[in-house]
Amino acid sequence: MNPRTSTNKIKTIIAHEYITKVKTKGFIIATLIGPLLLLAVIFIPILVTMLGADSTERKIAIVDYTDKLGKQIESQDTSKYFISYQTEESLRKEVLNGKLDGYLVIPKDFLKKGVADVYTMGGGGIGFINKIESNVREVARKERLREAGVDLSVIKLVEEGVEINTQKITKEGTEKDYAEAYAVVGYVFGFIIYTLMLLYGSFVSRGVIEEKANRIIEVIASSARPFEIMMGKVIGIGCVGLTQVLFWVILSGVLLYIVAPMMGGVVGDAAKMQSQMMQQNPNMVMPSSFEIPAISPWIFVAFIFYFLSGYFLYATLFAAVGSAVDQESDAQQLQFPIMLPIIIPILLVGYVISNPESTVSIVLSLFPLFAPILMMVRVAATPVPLWQIIASVVLMLGSFYVAVWLAARIYRVGILMYGKKPNLRDLIKWVRQAG
Amino acid sequence: MEILSVNSIVKRFGDFEAVSKVSFSVEQGTIFGLLGPNGAGKTTTIRMITNILKPDEGEIIMFGERVSASHQNRIGYLPEERGLYKKIKVIDQLIYFGMLKGMTRSEAQSEARKWLKKLDAGTWESKKIQELSKGMQQKVQFISTILHEPDVLILDEPFSGFDPINTEIIKKIVMDLKEEGKTIILSTHIMEQVEQLCDHICLIDTGKPVLSGLVREIKRAYGRDTIIMEWDGDDSFLNDFQNIKFINRSNNRAEFRITDGLKPMQILQKASLQNNIYKFELAEPSLNEIFIDVVTKQGVSNES
Repeated sequence: MNPRTSTNKIKTIIAHEYITKVKTKGFIIATLIGPLLLLAVIFIPILVTMLGADSTERKIAIVDYTDKLGKQIESQDTSKYFISYQTEESLRKEVLNGKLDGYLVIPKDFLKKGVADVYTMGGGGIGFINKIESNVREVARKERLREAGVDLSVIKLVEEGVEINTQKITKEGTEKDYAEAYAVVGYVFGFIIYTLMLLYGSFVSRGVIEEKANRIIEVIASSARPFEIMMGKVIGIGCVGLTQVLFWVILSGVLLYIVAPMMGGVVGDAAKMQSQMMQQNPNMVMPSSFEIPAISPWIFVAFIFYFLSGYFLYATLFAAVGSAVDQESDAQQLQFPIMLPIIIPILLVGYVISNPESTVSIVLSLFPLFAPILMMVRVAATPVPLWQIIASVVLMLGSFYVAVWLAARIYRVGILMYGKKPNLRDLIKWVRQAG
Repeated sequence: MEILSVNSIVKRFGDFEAVSKVSFSVEQGTIFGLLGPNGAGKTTTIRMITNILKPDEGEIIMFGERVSASHQNRIGYLPEERGLYKKIKVIDQLIYFGMLKGMTRSEAQSEARKWLKKLDAGTWESKKIQELSKGMQQKVQFISTILHEPDVLILDEPFSGFDPINTEIIKKIVMDLKEEGKTIILSTHIMEQVEQLCDHICLIDTGKPVLSGLVREIKRAYGRDTIIMEWDGDDSFLNDFQNIKFINRSNNRAEFRITDGLKPMQILQKASLQNNIYKFELAEPSLNEIFIDVVTKQGVSNES
């Protein structure tokens, strides 16, 4: 047959790794389910708020021995409370029958002692009891002030609720700041990168071990250079990860910028309900995190960069470890030193989110092994100065180069070594050995 | 024409010298037997020829050039430890291995189909490897080795795992490839196969070449010192000779080598006094005998 020129073998390997992996059921399911989870993360708080606002579901009878506080409590939420003149015994029966959710007993000396009892079937959540408690407390406070002879206008002043609106100053003027929401976004992105690095890193390591354990590697190594085999696998599986991430990013984009505005009606309803409740109950503080902040496209760019650079940095190391062992169960001990710097940043995320501008946070987020998670978190949570971003990109690319260099040397020796379970010292020896 | 020449290659792993100064050369269109006991350094030598490992010293010349990754497409290598992706379909696997050897997808696909059909395996095309029996997997592996029509084939125990019928089929293919002018390096422990197939051999032991040359010349050099005889009656006459080394012995048949100046005629005379002799043959030793002889002698000289 015709003499064949050496085509680009790494392309063949990349394509093989990519196609084999993308066709698996696991990949397809994970790719489709990912955005649904994101959707849930965004919309569950809204739904919870809406459901929480719907208080008609629960009926609480008030047995009032003071003859004045009951009415005031009832007026706080007429849909929930009603004054009952039945005996406690018959109310108890109604609760047991399920006709009533509970009853509140206000003893005669309530204003003095400040203790009232709620009887329910149990459950119902902390929010339910908290609401009753805050309603009762509210009435009690007002009444105590009135009895002490405080003027009504003063009472009103005391009751005035307080709210702090955070405003973010930008060149274009002020806008509402979603510091908390951005912190959550940073955490979510950091966590996704963490999961993907571990997941795809272990795919690489597992793939290398499979080829070695099934002795496929000897056939492949007689067809291509070890470096091509290793990088082909790392890039191929990286492309699988990128496909998944891009799919998620595009779908989230669609959800955030197209579906969410259409859902605006629903969100608006929730907001309306919130303000109604604020009127009824000024002391109640509503969580504001369900509001969807505008996520800058740059955050998605950073997400893709840190996912890719983090993946490549760790995947090459995972490949090296995989090449050194004969079977998957032997890999754990050697994988530990690689997984540690992936896990540590997750423990530091809380600190970095609360202090994104501190020197410690800056140093930690520039450290290449931590950067994929911590710099991602900072980029989402705070405006990171340009020099830090450039420094981080340079550091990531530099350490990727070092990782590839190290991994290639270990891989070359490792794939042909059988029988002995190597330790870290052996790997270092291989790196030195390989001329 | 010399297609491969191995010149005093040395490979060390730490302090252990796996291959020490091995040299041989292989003519185009011949079958070359690379022999040796387990752990002799055959696999390491093969890995250096296939450019998986680099020799520490010496050089390997193939197609007139120092061996490098650019020659890998012209080599087909069937390792002793077979390996296929368990969860990938037969055809996809063959296409992948073909493409790794520089074929285009369509070339690889049509060649793979052709060979599968030729080996009565056309219907396995879309089966996963793990669904196949061991023998079927061996066939797929064999196809993956020859798919890209390599000029040099390196086969390490190519017949293991095959039943006698399939062994003959594979042997026939190997002989056909030789006829087409392909060069084959065969490594095996089955000496009958070497006698049947190989033109040249090189026997290595503990990393060193101990015997090499044309099979028929090696056998001739050993001389006709092997006797195969059959008789009817008592076999006690054989017990009177000290300088006999038995290869096979039963009540009325024996195969043995004579040493230290014992004359075949002495045995025949003694035997014919007691028995009817049906067969008395002076033969060359089998390669198996030579192998054992050389390797045991080697072991003795290594110890002293």
